[in-house]
Formats: sequence, C-alpha cells, structure tokens
Amino acid sequence: MDLSRISETLISGKADELKKMVEEAVNDDVNPSDILNQGLLPGMDAVGQKWKAGDMFMPEVLRCAKAMSSAMDYLRPKLKDDDIGNAGTMVIGTVAGDLHDIGKDLVAMMFEGAGYKVINLGIDQSNENFINAVKEHKPKLLGMSALLTTTMPRMGEVINSLKEAGIRDQVTVIIGGAPVTDDFAKEIGADLYGPNAGTAVGIAREYFQKK
Amino acid sequence: MIERTNYKEQQTPYFEVLSEDQKERIFNGMMRTLQYTGANVHHEKARELFKKAGCKVDGVRVYFPPEVTLNALSTVPPVTEVFPWNGNRSKKIIIEKKRSYFGPGPTPPNFIDTDTLERRKYLRKDANIVARVCDALPNMGYVQSLGSISDVTNGLADVYEFADMVRNTTTPIMSWSFTREGCHDIHRMGIAMAGGEEEFKQRPNYIFYGEPISPLVSDFHAIDKCMYCAEHRIPQVYSPCAIGGGTVPATHAGQIVVALSESMVGVIAAQLMSPGTCVIIGGVQSILDMRYSVYSYGAPELSLLSAAMTEMVHYCNLPMYSTAGCTDTKKMDIQSAMEASLSINAAMMSGANFVHDCGYTESGLTGDVFQTVMDDEIIGMARIIEKGVEVNEKTLAVDVIDNVGPGGHYLYEDHTMDHFRDHWMPTLMDRNSYEEWDKLGRKTMKERIIDKTRDLIENYEGPRSKVSEKADSEIEKILQEAERRIKSEG
Repeated sequence: MDLSRISETLISGKADELKKMVEEAVNDDVNPSDILNQGLLPGMDAVGQKWKAGDMFMPEVLRCAKAMSSAMDYLRPKLKDDDIGNAGTMVIGTVAGDLHDIGKDLVAMMFEGAGYKVINLGIDQSNENFINAVKEHKPKLLGMSALLTTTMPRMGEVINSLKEAGIRDQVTVIIGGAPVTDDFAKEIGADLYGPNAGTAVGIAREYFQKK
Repeated sequence: MIERTNYKEQQTPYFEVLSEDQKERIFNGMMRTLQYTGANVHHEKARELFKKAGCKVDGVRVYFPPEVTLNALSTVPPVTEVFPWNGNRSKKIIIEKKRSYFGPGPTPPNFIDTDTLERRKYLRKDANIVARVCDALPNMGYVQSLGSISDVTNGLADVYEFADMVRNTTTPIMSWSFTREGCHDIHRMGIAMAGGEEEFKQRPNYIFYGEPISPLVSDFHAIDKCMYCAEHRIPQVYSPCAIGGGTVPATHAGQIVVALSESMVGVIAAQLMSPGTCVIIGGVQSILDMRYSVYSYGAPELSLLSAAMTEMVHYCNLPMYSTAGCTDTKKMDIQSAMEASLSINAAMMSGANFVHDCGYTESGLTGDVFQTVMDDEIIGMARIIEKGVEVNEKTLAVDVIDNVGPGGHYLYEDHTMDHFRDHWMPTLMDRNSYEEWDKLGRKTMKERIIDKTRDLIENYEGPRSKVSEKADSEIEKILQEAERRIKSEG
C-alpha cells in the first residue's frame, strides 16, 4: 500500500475515509509503525507547514487534527510503546475558577494531531485533579491554560503541588492562554510556554529533541 | 419560496454627501457657468464644432447654451467595457456607476528608487517595475506609470512608457501623451495588442487620460487629444486638477461647479465628434495649503470634495475619475498610511469608478511604488467594509447556533468552513503573537512593504513572454517611427 495516500487523505481532512484506509492498511499487514511514521505523521507535518505558510486555516487544520485523532484511536493499541512517533501522553486542563475551554481544546486537538494520547480534563480543574491525573496517567506532558489574569497564579500552585508530591521531575509542564507570557512561565517554574495552538506542538517537539 | 415580502435590503453601506436638492443646485451652477461665463477653447476646429452645435463663440471664448450641454449628456454611454489584451476576464473593467477600480497616477517627475529608497528622476526601467508590480497586486484594477520617463528622447516619454507597460501587464492601462501624434502612436500600439483596428473598436484595451486647465481653459493639445480619442472611440478621461482657493473657489460647492464646467467642455466636444463615446470626468479635487502654498494630496478636504464630486458626476450619468491613496509625505511613514487609509475608504464608499494616485507622495511630485503596495492592502480592507452585511437564513445561522449551544465553539462547524474565507486575510498587516513577531525579526510595516515590493520586482514575471511576436515587432517599429517623427519635428 502506498502510504503517501494516507498522508494525502489526512491533509484533505476526511476523517471517515482516513480511518477506513488505516484499517485497510492494518488488514493488509502493513506495520502499524510504518502507517504512523510514513503515512500519518508526514501528513500532519504537511498540515503544520501549510498552516504556517498561510495555505491552510484553523477550521481546516482542526479537521485534519480530528481525522488524525480518530485514526490514532484505532492505531494506538497496535503500536509498541517504544515506537518512534508514538509521542506519548498529555494531560491538559483549564485551572480552577476558569471556564474558558476553546483555546485549551484547540491545543489538545493539535497534540492529538501530533500523535499524542491526550487526556483532556476540561475546565475549572482543581489542583488536586491535576495531581491525581499526573499520578494516574504518568503523562510526558502536562498542559495548563488560563484566560483570566485572576486565575493565572493557579498554574504556579499546581506546579508547587507537583513538587510537594515529589513528581515534578516526571512531567514536562507547558502552559498557555491569552494573558500568559514567556516571562510568567519562567517565573512560576513551567518548562515550556506555547503562545498559541499552532506553535505549541512545535515548541514541545523541539524541547524533547534537544533533551 | 419567497422568504420575505415587502422587505427592504441594503447590499452595501450607504454613504452620501449631497442631497438631491443640493445636487440639482450644483448642477444648475454648472449650467449657469457654462452658459454665461463659458470657457476658453484654444482650438479653432473645436470652436467651429461648438459653433455649429449652437454655441456662441467670441474669440477663444465659447458659451454653451443648456440644450448643447443636455444634448451631450443625453448621448453619453451608460456602460463601457475595457478588455485586458490577453482576454483575462477577471481583469475586465466595466465602466458603470458605483463600480470602483483603483490604480496609480500619471506623470510625477520623481520616483523613489526601489533599491536605495531615495528620490531621483523617473527612469524608463521604473515604468516596467510599476507595470509588473501592479499586474501582481489584486486590488489594482487599472495601471498608470507613477512618473514621466526622463531617460528617453525628449518628447517621447509618453510613447516609451506605453510601449514598456502594455507588454508587462494585462491590467488595462490609462495612458497619456504630450500631443495628438503621441496619442496616435499609443493608439497604434493598442491596436497591435488588440490584433487590429476593428478588434480594438470592439474591445478597447486601454483608456486615455487628458486634462483641461483650471479655471475653465481647454488648451490646444488637451482638446485636440480629446477629439482624437472620440474619433477613434478610445475611452478617455478629461478631468482637471482643481486647486481650492487657487484655481477654483475656496468653497467646495464653487470648486465643484468650476471643475464640472471645464470637464463638460471635453464631454461636449467628444459627444459632438462621436456620440456615445466614453468620457470619464472628475480629477484631483483638493485645496491649496495657504501656509506652504502646496496642493495637498493628503488633505481631508480631498476626500470630501472627491466624494461630493463623485455624486455630481454620477448625477450627470458620467463615470468618475477620483483620487485616493496619496500623501504629502516625502518618505513612507505613519502620515502616508494615515492619509491613504482615510482617502481610500472615502473613495470606496463614494463609489467612484476610477480612483487614481495610489502611490503618489510629496504632494504628487514623486511616484512611490511602495506606497502603491501599501495602498493595495488598504483597498483590500476597505472592500470588506464596502461589501456590507448579508442578511438571510443562511447567514443568520440560527440552526447552527442551536446546534452548538452555550459554551461550545464553531470551529468544527461546516457553516464555519463555508464562510470563514469571506473574512479578509491580511498580506502585510501583522497579527502574529509577540513571540512569533519577535522570531520573524521584529519587522515594522515599512520593512514588510519593502520586502513584499522587492520580492515582486525580483520574482514576478508578468505577461512579457506572452506578447505575440507580431505585436512585439509592431511596437518596436512604432517606437522607431516615433524617434524619426521627433527628429523631423526638430
């Protein structure tokens, strides 16, 4: 099977068609790792590049991410843990007192599109919920978001709770949200800052490559 | 099924400076001026033409009775089309009320060098640059050169300009010339590009630009060229640069009366020569700055006067040649953007047919193609405002709203996919995050304009290679003959 067809279908954002193709490939005994690394991920890379170049726009990119996500739901159990491209798990949520979810959902979709298994906790999440989720899912990444200047400090509190629980070193923390800045991220001890949904994935990828 | 009955819809925002009563009064002011003051026409054949039509002629002065003016206005065409020489329909110009095409302007002596960014004399290579850059810009609906070529045989700047520009853009050109002979050379080139004289008459591919002198004077060459264009059915502009407080009254109504009257001389001459030929009037309408004695191209009065003039010209059922996108600054800066933004939006709202001077700086003395590139972006924004708000079941989206409900988002909706591309996409405006902007080199608007312009100059090919060999050699032949003509004229 020509795996570039999977890339092309992903770029066109057709979720049902993509899932069917991935299923066919698996039934034809194509290595799941090849489907991911030679079909899906190159497709998402192309989407990212097209977005950056202004050839694709947010609603289209999200469709691709959604298509990727449903294909990954099917493919993930068939991948080995150490498969390159099996990006890992991310826990993401909006901090306590904050009901804003669109930006955080976009980031979640983008990470799903990049091959992550994303545990989206939702909005208004207490510090305790974040800590429990990290303990339970052992994610590679913890994403937190706040849109209000009044709720921003909660992100720092979660990081402190991670330290107290002795699990701060197990997870990379990325934060974002309209009022959040790079300086604020450093101030509260987050590892990464994603200025928007489009760049967050790239920033995380670059960080892990260097690491 | 009828969705609504007795329902009033407004497709575009509504903008009007003058009431019907005011328009009628200004029109009558023009009729009084033409009848009792008249205009000087320095052209014997033109005066004979006017006399035969019923005008009183006294020396060079011609008085136009109302029936002569009204007769001329009764034969102007309601609509005229101008065709790109390669047949590209998307660049076709339809000259009718309330359709706006923006473009640069003609003949400033200086140009901002695209490499050094310094002011210098306009050179032949600049015409090529302006033609190609305008060919690439989506919001330039027609092209003028932004200069008068200084490095060709004296007296042939007009002919060389057209020869170079027409082969480097398919966007219809608005040409100019010194004399009837230049007009004829240019016309032969237009015919060569159209593929023959009959083809040109059927599908004219350029517009000619000429001007009377305020107040109320038509010099020999202006009216001579006007008559040539009428005879050959070349759509033409006949419009003055009226200077409020200088060559016309300081009051706006008085300025419009004089500007209309002197333009009407060309309209009447053209309609007498060839009833139904297209004449566009309007021109630059602005004020004399009494502190610096400068004809201001950035004054707010320019926008107001041009909008009022547009309404009057449309009242006469004529197409309007308006002004916007220009500035009094010497170098691209905040002032140039402020002045251009205001005038472009006003001109767009007024519904003027041709809006010229996108790229004029230093009060019309220096052409600047960087300004043209900036104006292209402003025009794009103004077009969005002009488009107005569409209201129907699909755009109300009540079902989609119900589907998403409170607290959701619309980014996955098919409705969003169908419509988000209606939103304006900037090509120069910065909407990056601080971090991205920082990473991209913290570029200012000025730097982005320079980058975009230079990229077009270096990489945009234009239609030069698509010009037929036959048309190409015909144009070269016309240039050689023009050189011989100038020599023989001494």
